[in-house]
Amino acid sequence: MTFPISTKTIPDEAVSRFREALGDENFSTDPVICDGYAMQPFHKTEPGCWINRPLAVTLPSSTEEVQAIVKICIQHGLRYKAHSTGWGAHGGAGYDNVVQIDLRRMNKILEWDEKNRYVVVEPYVNCAEIQAEAMKRGFNIHIHGAGSVCSPLANATSHCGMGWSGISTSTSSRNILGVEWVLPSGEVLKLGTCGSISESAGSRWFSADGPGPSMRGIMRGWAGADGGLGVFTKMSMKLFHWAGPKETAVKGRLQDLVVEKPDNFRITLCAFPDARSYADALFKVGEAEIGFLQCKNSVALMLGAMMPRMLRKIHASMNVKKILDACRHQFMFTIAATSDLDYQYQSQCLEKIVDDHGGIVLDAPAPLHSLMYWSFVRVSLPPVVFRMGGNFFSTFGGDEAFDNCMEQARIGEEIKRQFIASKACFDDLADNPWALIYENGLFGHSEELWFYDHRDPEMGRQVDDYAKACADATLEHTLGGGGFAFFKGGEVHDILGPAMSNYHIWQRRIKKALDPNDLSDSKFYISSD
Amino acid sequence: MALEAYRRDMEGCSRCSSCKWVPMSQMKSHRFSQVCPSISRYHFHSFAGSGKLMLGLSLLDNRIEMNDSVADVAYKCTLCGACDANCKVYRDDIDIAEVIEEIRATCVENGQFFAEHQMMIDDLKRENNVFGEPKNARGDWAEGLGLKDANAQKVDVLFHAGCRFSYDEDLLGVIRGAATLIRDAGVDLGVAGKAESCCGGRAFGLGFRGDGKNFAEDMAVRVKSSGAKVLLTPCADCYGAFKYAYRRMGVDLGVQVMHISEYLKALAANGKINFKNRVDRKITYHDPCHLGRRSEPYAGPWEGNKLLRPASRKRDGRKGVYDAPRDLLRSIPGIRLVEMERIREYSWCCGAGGGVWEADQELSDFAARERIEEALTTGADALATSCPWCERNLRDAAESMGAGIEVLDVTELVARSIKGEVIS
Repeated sequence: MTFPISTKTIPDEAVSRFREALGDENFSTDPVICDGYAMQPFHKTEPGCWINRPLAVTLPSSTEEVQAIVKICIQHGLRYKAHSTGWGAHGGAGYDNVVQIDLRRMNKILEWDEKNRYVVVEPYVNCAEIQAEAMKRGFNIHIHGAGSVCSPLANATSHCGMGWSGISTSTSSRNILGVEWVLPSGEVLKLGTCGSISESAGSRWFSADGPGPSMRGIMRGWAGADGGLGVFTKMSMKLFHWAGPKETAVKGRLQDLVVEKPDNFRITLCAFPDARSYADALFKVGEAEIGFLQCKNSVALMLGAMMPRMLRKIHASMNVKKILDACRHQFMFTIAATSDLDYQYQSQCLEKIVDDHGGIVLDAPAPLHSLMYWSFVRVSLPPVVFRMGGNFFSTFGGDEAFDNCMEQARIGEEIKRQFIASKACFDDLADNPWALIYENGLFGHSEELWFYDHRDPEMGRQVDDYAKACADATLEHTLGGGGFAFFKGGEVHDILGPAMSNYHIWQRRIKKALDPNDLSDSKFYISSD
Repeated sequence: MALEAYRRDMEGCSRCSSCKWVPMSQMKSHRFSQVCPSISRYHFHSFAGSGKLMLGLSLLDNRIEMNDSVADVAYKCTLCGACDANCKVYRDDIDIAEVIEEIRATCVENGQFFAEHQMMIDDLKRENNVFGEPKNARGDWAEGLGLKDANAQKVDVLFHAGCRFSYDEDLLGVIRGAATLIRDAGVDLGVAGKAESCCGGRAFGLGFRGDGKNFAEDMAVRVKSSGAKVLLTPCADCYGAFKYAYRRMGVDLGVQVMHISEYLKALAANGKINFKNRVDRKITYHDPCHLGRRSEPYAGPWEGNKLLRPASRKRDGRKGVYDAPRDLLRSIPGIRLVEMERIREYSWCCGAGGGVWEADQELSDFAARERIEEALTTGADALATSCPWCERNLRDAAESMGAGIEVLDVTELVARSIKGEVIS
């Protein structure tokens, strides 16, 4: 299916001003260039892979240039949409009159403050780049679930993201210590670390918001505005202690990785007889405040992602399916100890909790160390989810108490079975693919991913139905936050809001106050009216 | 295969941007994290591997017209294959490099390419080499070496020098030294002299399929008539053409194709050459794209859904030649090999390939200077490589930068160890 191409054009005066502000090399209205921003099959609920083609593409290199772009857009009534690394339809033009702001020239790591444990980055720096540099300094960062190929700034300021290390590093939105924010008015607002300017005095705020009332709720709320509230040009993010080596010798790329696991790391798989014991054990693990990484990666997901042809063959054998089904209630747990005593303490805690709940702790065998150590530390696995069918989508994922997450998983499984039967997605045994706790169990996260091929018209057609079924279930069963149903933008907020303290009304007020003309592309956020 | 045959590849891009960076697991620094010269220089997404998939699909869907801009995006690319290799860390069903080749072929069909490339093709047709140098001078480099004339005598090994080594005077010592090493090891070696012609790889890469195939078929005839069992080349560009492009064009050479680094390694293993002399140098090695990821043999088109294509049919770059040159360097007493960050199948391109050296000197220089800067961070006093195109471009960049790092061919270091002197 080909997406209609807008017949709208950009005024000549605006073109002149963009060229003046950015230079000819960093601005284009050429359809050949603009179509490079019009294909985004991921996180797209309509069939096909094309989205709106932007009227123009801009490549700013500084906050001042971003401001100039926003002001030109305001003057000419043009919508604009910024993206960083730009993965997913939510990074592209939501309407037919959008100027795309590609932030890839803003790719600097601006500042390391090791004493106060933060790093200030620009939008296009990806997680792997920051982590590689952080480790040299003895630090690590939170890497969200989309993986290290993505921008942490984009995820933390404008989206939502929980990563494998969430148990010890929380979620991306909680890792922001400050931002520089080009508001929809074109003004710049600096918060937290980025807002304290006493650089010469050597002191800076290292709290998230600095003095005064917090702006974090307005800035991003729970799920982020996905580009609907201006442009973020800098972010200060937390640094965590890294218990591993400063440099890691790595051979191979992903499935062929060869990496030596440090002795102070223990990688385990904890398996349980049923869902209840699995959930209760995770609660206790959280309470014990142990662990570096924790996550459920379903066996079917791993097979589907790493050996997609084998998973398809497994479907022919009911017995093999039953065996895999028996492995549903498990999570990976990694200890990164800072001393021998710490290693013993964390290990014994884990073993006791798992034993108390009728489970077993399986230490990852050496041949799996490379994959289970480095792939999860670096979070290099995520794009592998495209191997099974070429695309995936996600629903639920509303961060809640883990009991609620378990309910999301149970209902998600029921819904997925129906859609597997109707050939809307590939059969991954309907096992809840991704679940974890973070902040030592204060919150849980459960996502129901499904894997499909958007090139298959029948599968593509049912994406919207599937997402809607999950949103409906969220309401019907009181499953908490709307999670990834938010990819429908305002339409879903208006459905979910009344059941959730009317948050959508506040969201709309914020949008109207900051962006009265609705020029900051709100397709994936909420419109001002 | 026409562009339409790759529709699913193009539609399948998830736009994750893995094509822009070295594999995430291999990222060692912020400074050297990028892997694609084209997007690194021109920034618009169209210049990335992913963007070129969109370009091809946009053409097929008639969203854009074939014009200068399409050619600009298609040809401002070194066709180094880094995007392809890095995409395939995750994907089984997308062949980005083949799509770029098809876009270029479509450009040529529609008369959309750079004037410099037309000149090169004209030179190629007229003089059988990409520089337009006299074809009668092609074999001059071998004068006085006493190599057999493969046009007149049967040989075991046919030595194909390639255009760059045949005509670049600065590299004369390299090619003469390499051939001498093989000759002195007692190999029954022959050259085609002025009858040798371009391998046709450049023409194929630029999308001039007919011209590329003509040269490939001519090569096949020459190889057959020589009676050679091995076609040996010191040029990575030619090697990549023989191993990959020829199969894409349906031309079977019918002999074993070896790069000189593979052949020298085999000679060393059989005791035919001995590394007698110390070469006390700290060396870093640059992987030529066409010896590495781009040389991986083409296994033929996959009919049907590539999601079901076995991994063994996927060209992910890992089966290129990476170890032979390194093993040679490690065999030389005194050499300390230090690696750059971007190596093997995720190596950074030197900038000379894909017609960029001929038509977009700025991108070519940008890529080469970036590589020299990376080499300098290793502390090496010399950068070794196995391709005359890389050597030329990197030498020029190092010189213009005043980098103070020598750029050498691996065979030069081998020769120094065996002979104890530079052969010229």
